Amino acid sequence: MHDDTLLTVTGLSKHFDGVPAVEDVSFDVRRSETLGIVGESGSGKTTLARCILRAIDPDAGVVRFRSADGWVELQDLSPKELIPLRREMQMIFQDPFASLNPRMTVREILEEPLVVHRVGNREERLAAVLDMLDHVQLEHDSLTRYPHAFSGGQRQRIGIARALILRPNLVVCDESVSALDVSVQAQIINLLEDLQRDLGLTYLFVAHDLSVVQHICDRVLVMHRGRVVESGVVDDLFANPREDYTRLLLSAIPSPDPDVPLRPLDRRSVGL
Amino acid sequence: MSEVALPSGAGVAAGVTDRETAAAISPRRLMWLRFRRHRLALASGAFLLVLYVLAAFCEFVAPYGTTTRNDDAINAPPMGVHFFDAEGRFHLRPFVYAYRMEVNPDTWMREYAEDTGTRHPIRFFARGEPYEMWNLFPMDRHLFTTDAGTYIHLFGTDPLGRDMFSRVLYGGRISLSIGIVGVVLTIVLGILLGGIAGYLGGLADRVVNKAIEVLQCLPSLPLWMALSAALPVHWSPLLVYFGITIILSLFGWTALARQVRGRFLALREEEFVMAARLIGADTPRVIRKHMLPSFSSHIIATATLAVPAMILGETALSFLGIGLRPPVVSWGVLMFQAQNPLVIELTPWQMFPGLFVVLTVMAFNLLGDGLRDAADPYSTGGMK
Repeated sequence: MHDDTLLTVTGLSKHFDGVPAVEDVSFDVRRSETLGIVGESGSGKTTLARCILRAIDPDAGVVRFRSADGWVELQDLSPKELIPLRREMQMIFQDPFASLNPRMTVREILEEPLVVHRVGNREERLAAVLDMLDHVQLEHDSLTRYPHAFSGGQRQRIGIARALILRPNLVVCDESVSALDVSVQAQIINLLEDLQRDLGLTYLFVAHDLSVVQHICDRVLVMHRGRVVESGVVDDLFANPREDYTRLLLSAIPSPDPDVPLRPLDRRSVGL
Repeated sequence: MSEVALPSGAGVAAGVTDRETAAAISPRRLMWLRFRRHRLALASGAFLLVLYVLAAFCEFVAPYGTTTRNDDAINAPPMGVHFFDAEGRFHLRPFVYAYRMEVNPDTWMREYAEDTGTRHPIRFFARGEPYEMWNLFPMDRHLFTTDAGTYIHLFGTDPLGRDMFSRVLYGGRISLSIGIVGVVLTIVLGILLGGIAGYLGGLADRVVNKAIEVLQCLPSLPLWMALSAALPVHWSPLLVYFGITIILSLFGWTALARQVRGRFLALREEEFVMAARLIGADTPRVIRKHMLPSFSSHIIATATLAVPAMILGETALSFLGIGLRPPVVSWGVLMFQAQNPLVIELTPWQMFPGLFVVLTVMAFNLLGDGLRDAADPYSTGGMK
């Protein structure tokens, strides 16, 4: 363990009705890095992300998080004990439509974390909200609007602003760009990178799109059927995949060159 | 439903001001804009509002009390309001004619005709029969009445010579309020039990669901009858009133509870609800701020549709003589007096309370339909 380790996950497992979704997963996350978690649909990456933040409760394993007050083991905390820790770890969701309450204005959405954690008075909270809107490059007149007035990319910016307004250390991005158009995806990825640099964030970046992961991540875990099959520094792993499954995933990345045909590997040919 | 911006053209058609751009419209206001297009529902809402105001101020609106008797008018028919008298002269002040009673020599029935020689001018906001407004303030002014010694019976009179119009108004106060009080109880029970089932799930969910299934299997009318028969005879009318309300809502909450449970189950999985929890909001806040507002409009619509069942329940029980009893006046009690087919044959105006029940129930149903469509434009039979 490095002394700048922010999160350690050891032997994490989660079953749904006896079916394993996450099976004995262990890894570390270092401060200010971006760790990618990739895998196909159903590989357990979202479940893993949710277990870490205790959005769902894991069945087994240890999740150690370095909070402002030292190390805590998240898996044993009661919901009440978790509440103060929510300031330090947040999630950015996949679906920018479903993740914003349609009945709250942008101001209410962004203010809520501050209200819940009793941060500042009314003016200070408004100032923080406006500051956050600047960070995610939204107009100040967005405040009084409802989510239905925004495009997908703008909504995702609102979701990002909500996650970051408490200035967390750890941010879990659960397929946060998967639902967006490619051009919007690029904007949001750049925004996430800017914010990471400005605010010193650590990302746990769950994605199925390997080209996105290659762009944004420092290290990557490859998950298959609930288990981590391979992990390593992104460039190494992408250049020299050791596992067949990783090769299968990599073969599904389309080339930017339109003349290069996409030739995904056949599952059976790699023995999966 | 979140991705709907606006119903087509609502911004313009519904008269949204320029300053209030489509972007800043709250979902509640959107619902109102959609509701406004249901003319029938809007008219029903207005009708019900008028009815409730009349019932709330029935002492003032009604010219007489519920027990005032007019010995000159036994089973008398409704009076017509006139501006022109028999000679064709116009009177600025409307009037009614006195009754002229004759006994039919063949049937020995009293028969009434207008006595065009005797006019009873109608006085507005004039002093008449003294009363206590809401049992609190002694007053004697009425919305309309006639001079002392004369009378007005817009809906005719009953076999004891009591004014039907006044009695229908007083009866409306009981019948209409029993609907509202009952529905409030229903909502409380429905949201509480449905919420527990939906939010907690597991064992609580199974218990509540089984209870709902059992309750819905029971035939409601015989059960109501049994329970109302169990109400002690010596109870005061007020206690009976609340007893009946509780009996009605005890069986009315199941449908609402099912709906609330379904919504809770669906909302619990919504990402914005998970987002709220991850922010650190505790359960009461999540429910209050994120879950309830998402279906409060549905609750309102369902509740509106539940009111007529309550009113009909009270009417049915009182009509059968096991609900409210005289001297309490409700529409059901009034109809109890009109059970005899002879009444319909000879004095059909005693059916006026029934007409009001029909109109009220219909208005509530239309209003509820309109509200439901406005709350959820994607439900069946949505906007036209």
